[in-house]
Amino acid sequence: MLTKTSTVLADGTKIEDLVKVDTREVHLRALSDPEIYELEMQRIFGKTWVFLGHESEIPNSGDFIVRDIGSDSVIVTREKSGEVNVLLNVCPHRGMRVAVVDAGNTQIHKCIYHGWAFRPNGDFIGAPVERETMHGKILPKDKLGLQKARVTLYGGLIFATWNIDGPSFDEFLGDAKWYYDILFCRTDNGLEVLGPPQRFIVRANWKAAGEQSAADGFHTLTLHRWLGEVGAYAKKGPNEEGADLSPEMIGVEISSPHGHALRCIDLARKIRRITGLEPNDLSVDQRLEALPPAGLTRDLIPQLKRRLSAGQLECQTSMPPQVGGIFPNVLFGYVYIPQADGTVVGSMTLHAYVPRGPDKLEFVNWILAEKDTPAELKEKMRQQTTQLFGTSGMVEQDDSDTWPHITQAAKGAQGRNITMKYQAIYEKGKPEGWPGPGIVNEGFTKDDTQWHWWMYWRELMTGGI
Amino acid sequence: MEAVQTTPAFTGQRVRLGSETYNGIVEFLYDEADLLDQIKLKEWGALLAPDLVYTVPQRATRLLAEQAQTVVRSVMHYDDNYRSVMGRIMRATGKSAWAEDPPSRTRRLVTNVRVDTTANADEFAVRSYLLLTRSRFNHDEYDLVSCERRDIVRRSGDSFLLARREVIIDQAVIGTPNLAVFL
Repeated sequence: MLTKTSTVLADGTKIEDLVKVDTREVHLRALSDPEIYELEMQRIFGKTWVFLGHESEIPNSGDFIVRDIGSDSVIVTREKSGEVNVLLNVCPHRGMRVAVVDAGNTQIHKCIYHGWAFRPNGDFIGAPVERETMHGKILPKDKLGLQKARVTLYGGLIFATWNIDGPSFDEFLGDAKWYYDILFCRTDNGLEVLGPPQRFIVRANWKAAGEQSAADGFHTLTLHRWLGEVGAYAKKGPNEEGADLSPEMIGVEISSPHGHALRCIDLARKIRRITGLEPNDLSVDQRLEALPPAGLTRDLIPQLKRRLSAGQLECQTSMPPQVGGIFPNVLFGYVYIPQADGTVVGSMTLHAYVPRGPDKLEFVNWILAEKDTPAELKEKMRQQTTQLFGTSGMVEQDDSDTWPHITQAAKGAQGRNITMKYQAIYEKGKPEGWPGPGIVNEGFTKDDTQWHWWMYWRELMTGGI
Repeated sequence: MEAVQTTPAFTGQRVRLGSETYNGIVEFLYDEADLLDQIKLKEWGALLAPDLVYTVPQRATRLLAEQAQTVVRSVMHYDDNYRSVMGRIMRATGKSAWAEDPPSRTRRLVTNVRVDTTANADEFAVRSYLLLTRSRFNHDEYDLVSCERRDIVRRSGDSFLLARREVIIDQAVIGTPNLAVFL
């Protein structure tokens, strides 16, 4: 029963009460209740900007890919003008799926059922046997096109929303944009995907993955502890730091009233370990040269310097954003993969967790690189990122069981009342002289970013309480 | 986003079913499946040639006229070589590889084995079908992975080593939550 001031579930529970603001707890019921799921499809995925892919996946006129906004399939097209469109993949005639493949190229999307045809911009061209006017006379042709979403390209990343008159994409990102610019807007020719995204099913509620991505630092120490035992950070010699992953927990975390999250991780240790240089003795320029941003080759540094502000360069060379999320269901990872010869290879991934029912998500994993990266390095980035992240990723394999176990627990009669707790709270606040905006906290990773994610979820689900 | 690797060419001569070479290779594949199902990963690693390339391309749903594009060899599900597979074995046999601890109970059903000669007298192009059943925890549904393996199997002493495997998996969206097990 929906009212203007609250949303009440069938058993009388108010959705706003599932998130206990005073004690920073969230009832597990939020991860299993089918009613909540249906409301999310409207109030979260129907209202926010949703990530669909990268424009390098559809470079040519007529190219299209088929993706998802929540529970709806959409066709993402490149039309002749170069514009990118996002169209609901539902024929306005009788509801058939129009694009039945994953991707392709066509100037005419024809529904196989009755032959209704549409342009890549969604316009209805006509039905077969034009003189018989199969579409009738009640609705004009311009009302019979594919439903169009509102589209923004950001660093080539394609975002779309059904909230046609709602906030702009920049307003949606808010202060977090200052940090995302450091990742996605570094070069003139920009990013590209190294292939289509991997897709696999995890039998878990999308929010188990979404809230972890926004941004759970602590689990790296324990769930991913193999990294310190046999993985890239394992102890290599008696005097070398390793085995203890906790230094990776230290940095600055950015929370957002719109649920975006960035973990900015201390770079000084890495500069010391990888280059042998003392970062405190180096200027910003020298630090950029010593250890360029993950995935950025040295020849692209001049472009970075031209495109980012002094404050952003300061951030990148001391505490760069390396992992985090974009609300509601995106993870980004910009990390360094240590090589046997002591150098590093950058790894850039984006994930989307597409809801496929209250207890199922589709994990979609893109691997990216700057377009102007040499081919040989792109190959290394592609291979090593595939080895660590995604379907067979040695890091992310370990996330595959936790989300389903949690989702199963959330279905229990007792389990649904157990709460997820976000009670590790920053006390320090912003470091002195921090150049960036937003809700900023420094120190050992805490729960603040994830708590803000739930607060925005609560705000959207309750219509703004 | 072009394909960067190609499958070994199966243009050699068929090695007849029931011949000694054919039988030896089938036995090799059965023994390999057994080692993996028993989670004897180090022993399995001993069956791999040092020049191993091990890949699992993505699949895409495309029109019949575009079937070549249904196997995607740019971003794949596995993009490994001998060194990285050894790294995986080292991780999996360590203390904290939670993805397979507790391990999946798997059954690798290897069938439809066809063997062809190659340009090298000691190497054979082997295609086999695999149905892997996977059960974790107390879930009562099986995860299934069906695929075709396209291998280069190389004579080594009295037995063989796996020098190349490309796994053509049958799903565009993988229905099991990871490929932490080898195919």
